[in-house]
Amino acid sequence: MTEKKRMTALRLHKALYPIWRNDPGWKGVLTTVNNNTIGNMFILGATGMFLAGGILAMLIRAQLASPRSAFMGPEIYNQIFTMHGTIMMFLFAIPFFEALTVFLLPGMLGTRDLAFPRLSSYGFWCYMIGSTIMIVALVAGVAPDGGWFMYPPLSSSAYSSGINTDIWLLGISFIEISAIGAAVEVVVTVLRYRAVGMSLDKLPIFAWYMLVVAVMILTAFPPMILGSLILELERAFDMPFFQAEHGGDSLLWQHLFWLFGHPEVYIIFLPAAGVISMVLPVMARTTLLGYGWVVAAAISLAVLSFGLWVHHMFTTGIPHMGLAFFSAVSTLVAVPTGVQIFAWIGTLWKGRPEMHLPMLWILGFFVTFVMGGLTGVMVAMVPFDWQAHDSYFVVAHLHYVLIGGYVFPMIAGIYYWMPVLTGRKRFFRMGETAFWLVMVGFHGTFLLLHWAGLLGMRRRIDTVEAGSGWESINLLASISGFVLAIGFGLVILDVAVNAFVAVRGPRNPWKAGTLEWATPIPGPSYNVASIPVISSRYPLHDNPDLPVQIARGEGFLAWPDRNRRETLAVSISRGEPEFISVFPKNTIVPFVMAVVTSVMFMAPVFKWYWLMFIAAAGVTVLALVWAWANGSRRDEGLLDAGRGVSLPPHTEVAYKPGWWGSLFLLLADSVLFGSLLFGYAFLWTVAPNWPPPRILQPGILGPVLALAGVALASSGIRLGDRAIREDGAPWRGLLASLAGLAALGAAAATVFAGTTYNAHAYDATLWVIAGYVIFHAGLAGLMVLFLLCRIGTGYVSARRFGDARVVRLWIDYAVLTAALGLGAAWLPGVLP
Amino acid sequence: MTDILRISVPITVWIAAFSAVYGLEGVICSDLWRGAGLSLGQGRGALVATWVAAIALQVALLVALRSRRFASPHPWVQRLATILGCVALVATVWSLMPVATTSLCL
Ligand code: HEM
Ligand SMILES: [Cu+2]
Repeated sequence: MTEKKRMTALRLHKALYPIWRNDPGWKGVLTTVNNNTIGNMFILGATGMFLAGGILAMLIRAQLASPRSAFMGPEIYNQIFTMHGTIMMFLFAIPFFEALTVFLLPGMLGTRDLAFPRLSSYGFWCYMIGSTIMIVALVAGVAPDGGWFMYPPLSSSAYSSGINTDIWLLGISFIEISAIGAAVEVVVTVLRYRAVGMSLDKLPIFAWYMLVVAVMILTAFPPMILGSLILELERAFDMPFFQAEHGGDSLLWQHLFWLFGHPEVYIIFLPAAGVISMVLPVMARTTLLGYGWVVAAAISLAVLSFGLWVHHMFTTGIPHMGLAFFSAVSTLVAVPTGVQIFAWIGTLWKGRPEMHLPMLWILGFFVTFVMGGLTGVMVAMVPFDWQAHDSYFVVAHLHYVLIGGYVFPMIAGIYYWMPVLTGRKRFFRMGETAFWLVMVGFHGTFLLLHWAGLLGMRRRIDTVEAGSGWESINLLASISGFVLAIGFGLVILDVAVNAFVAVRGPRNPWKAGTLEWATPIPGPSYNVASIPVISSRYPLHDNPDLPVQIARGEGFLAWPDRNRRETLAVSISRGEPEFISVFPKNTIVPFVMAVVTSVMFMAPVFKWYWLMFIAAAGVTVLALVWAWANGSRRDEGLLDAGRGVSLPPHTEVAYKPGWWGSLFLLLADSVLFGSLLFGYAFLWTVAPNWPPPRILQPGILGPVLALAGVALASSGIRLGDRAIREDGAPWRGLLASLAGLAALGAAAATVFAGTTYNAHAYDATLWVIAGYVIFHAGLAGLMVLFLLCRIGTGYVSARRFGDARVVRLWIDYAVLTAALGLGAAWLPGVLP
Repeated sequence: MTDILRISVPITVWIAAFSAVYGLEGVICSDLWRGAGLSLGQGRGALVATWVAAIALQVALLVALRSRRFASPHPWVQRLATILGCVALVATVWSLMPVATTSLCL
C-alpha cells in the first residue's frame, strides 16, 4: 500500500469503527450484537462444556478402571454418564460448530454481520444460561439420570419421580432455542447476505454445508422438542401419551427422539466435513475437487439421513418390511459419504500437501473416521445389531465417529483459523505433542472397548464385575483415557497460550483464497470496510489486491454517510445487490429476554406455574419491544449504495429480512406440527387400547366457527395489505382478520370442552392439537394488534408495508394449521 | 428462491413418499385395516401402487427440471438439480423396493 492509499483505509476505519463497535467495558458484553464478539464468547463457552463433559468421562473411566476402583454408587453413576452424553451432544458438539459459524460466516461471505444480530445474542445467552443450569443441577446432585435419550417409561414419573428428568426435558428444550435461532440466522445469511457476484456456485463450501446443516436443525429438532414437551406434560399433568394402559405408547418417544437423533449424527458430521473441505485444499495448495458433487453429496446425505431413524429401533420388534426400508436407506447413505471422501482424496492427489498442524489433525480424522465407518456398517446390519446393541461395542463405535469425525476436524479448523480468531501466529509448538498423545490415547481407549463389547460388557453399568474377563481391558482403556484427556488438555492450553502471548502474524498466512482472509486480523467489528465484488470461488487467488481494495472502500456501502449500521442484501441465486439492510444498535434486550425465557422454562420444574405465566408475559412484552425497535417512520426512497448503484432500504421492500426469518422459523414450526399429527396417527394405528372409549363429536358450533375464522382471517389481512399499499384505510380488513383469529381460537376451545385431558392418550393428543391452534391464533392476533399500532404511529406506509407481509405469513400459517389440526381432531367423530 | 426449490423439491418428495409408505405399511398391519374389511393382498397392492406412483412422480420431476420451461437459467444450478433429481429417483426405486420383495407384517 502506498501512503495515500493507507490513509484512505485508515480514514474509512475511523468512520466505521464508532458505528459498529461494542459498548465499552462489561456493559459491552451484555449489549453486544456483534458476530465476532459473540462468536468468541460462544467458542469459549462451548470449550468450557467440552471440559466439563471430559471431566465426567474421566470419572467414568476412573470408576470402571478395575473392580476395586469403583467409588460411586449407581445413582451417581447414572447421572454422570447421562450428563456426559447430554453435555457432549447438546452443550458441546452442536454449540461449538454454531459458535465457529457465528464467528466465521460473515467474513467468508464478505458481509458485515449475520442476518439477525440480536438473535445471535439471544441464542448465545440462552445457551449460556441453560448450560449453567445443567451444570448447577449436576453439582447439586439432581442431574438427569435416565441416559441421554431419556426413554420412557424409565423417564416417566412412575420410575423417575424427582426433578432430574424435568430438568433435562425443560433445560434441553430451552437450550434448543439457541440452535433453532442460529439455524434461522445461518439460512437467511447464506441466502441473502453475501458479497456481490457470489452466486450459488461461488459460495465458499463451508457456507453450503452450514446452509444444509441449518435446514437440518430446523427439521430435526422439532420432533424432539415436541417429544420433550409431551413427556413433560405427562409427568406434570398425567396426560398419558406414553402409558399403554391409557392408549399411550412408549415407542412414540423412540420415534420422536430418533427422528431427531439420527439426523443429529449428520448435523454434527456435516460441519466437520465443511471444515475439512475448506482446510484440506489449502493445505494441499490447490482447490477442492468436484465442488458441485460435494454440494450434491451434502444435500443428499442430509435428506437421506431423515430416512434412517428406525435403525436405532431394530430391536423393538418392528415388522420385517419396515426394517427392510431402513436397511435400504442405510446402504444408500454410503454413496454420498463416499463421494465426499473421494473428493477429499482427489484433492490431496491433485495438490501438493504440506504437513502443517491442521493437516495432521485431518489425517487423524481420516484414519479414525474410516474405522468408525466400518463398525457403523457392522451395526447397521440388523442381525449384528441384535448382538451388539447396548454393549460397549456401540459405545466404542460412537466415539470413533464423534471424536474422530467431529472433534478432530474441529481442532484442525481451530488451528487453521487461529490467525483470524486471534490475529496471532502460532509460536509455541505444544500442538504436535498434543496430537500424538490424543492419537495414542484415543485408540488405546476405544479400540479396546470394542473388544469389551464383543465379550459382552453392557454399556451403562456402574462396575466392572471381578471375574468377568473384562478387567484388564478396562484398566488399559482407563489409562489410555487419561492420556487422551491430557492430550485434549494440551490442545486447549496450546491454543490459549498462543492466543495471549504469541506474536502478531501477517494476514492470510496460508495463502487461502476465500474472503475471511481478506480482512485485517483479527477482524474488525464491521468485518469488511466495504462489500466486495467477486467473480470466482477463490477471490483472493484471482485478485491478491482485493483486501486493499476492500479496505479502501472500493466495494459497496463503504462510507457510512447515513451514520448507521448498513450492509447489503443480495439476490439468492446470482448475488446481485437488492437492498440495503439496516442493522440494530447495541442492546440489552436479547440478554434480558434470555434471562426471562430461562425463568419461563425452569419454573415448571418446581411446579410454579404462576411464575411461568408471568415470565411468558414478560417474554411477550420484550419481544414486542424488540420488534418495535426495527423500522422507520419516513420513506427514504432509493439510497446511494456506492459504485453508482442506488437501492432501497430494507424497510421499503415487500419481503424484508424478518419475513425470510419467519419463513424458516415456520418451517421448523410446521415440522413440529407434522410430528404432532404423526404422533396422533401413530397412536391410533399402533398403540394398545385404541380406539378410545369416547370419541369427540364435532357438533355444529365448532366447525362453523372454524370455517368463519379461516375465511375472515385470511381475507381480512389481504384486504388490509391492499389498503396499506393503496394508502387506503386498513383498519377494517385488519379488524376482520382479528375477529377471524378469535373465531379459530374459539373453535379450538370447543375441543377442550368435549374431552378430558387425562382420560386417554387420544384426549391428551387432542388437547395438545387444540392448544397449538389457540397458541398460533393468539400469536397471529397479537401481531395484528402490533401492526395496528405500527400503522397508528407512522411506521407503515404505501412503500413500507413489509410488516404487513410478515403478519400475513403468520396468519396464513395459523389458518392452515388450524384447518388441518381441527380437521384431524374432528375426523374420527364424523367417520361412520 | 425458485432455484432453491429446484434443488430441494425432488429429494423432499422422496422423503415424503418414504414416510407415506412407511405409514401406510403401519396402517395395513394394524387392526384398522382388517377392521375396514380389507385384506393383506389389497394392502400389498396399495403399497406397490404408491411405490410406482412415487417413481412416476420422480421421473416427471426430472423431465420437468430439464425442460425449457422449468429448468434453471443458471447452468450450474441446473446441473445440481439434475444430479439431485437422479439421487431422488434412485432413492425412491431402491428404498421402497421392499414393498414388492419382503413379507408383509411379519
Ligand atoms: C474425552 C474423551 C471421552 C471419553 C474417555 C469418553 C468415555 C465414555 C464412556 C466410557 C461412555 C460409556 C458410559 C456408559 O455407558 O456407562 C461414554 C458415553 C457416551 N459418550 Fe463419551 N467419552 C469421551 C468423549 C465424548 C465426546 C467428545 C462425545 C460427543 C461429542 C461423547 C459422547 C458420548 C455419548 C453420547 C455417550 C452415551 C451416553 C449414554 O449412554 O447415555 N463422548 N463416553
Ligand atoms: Cu442413526
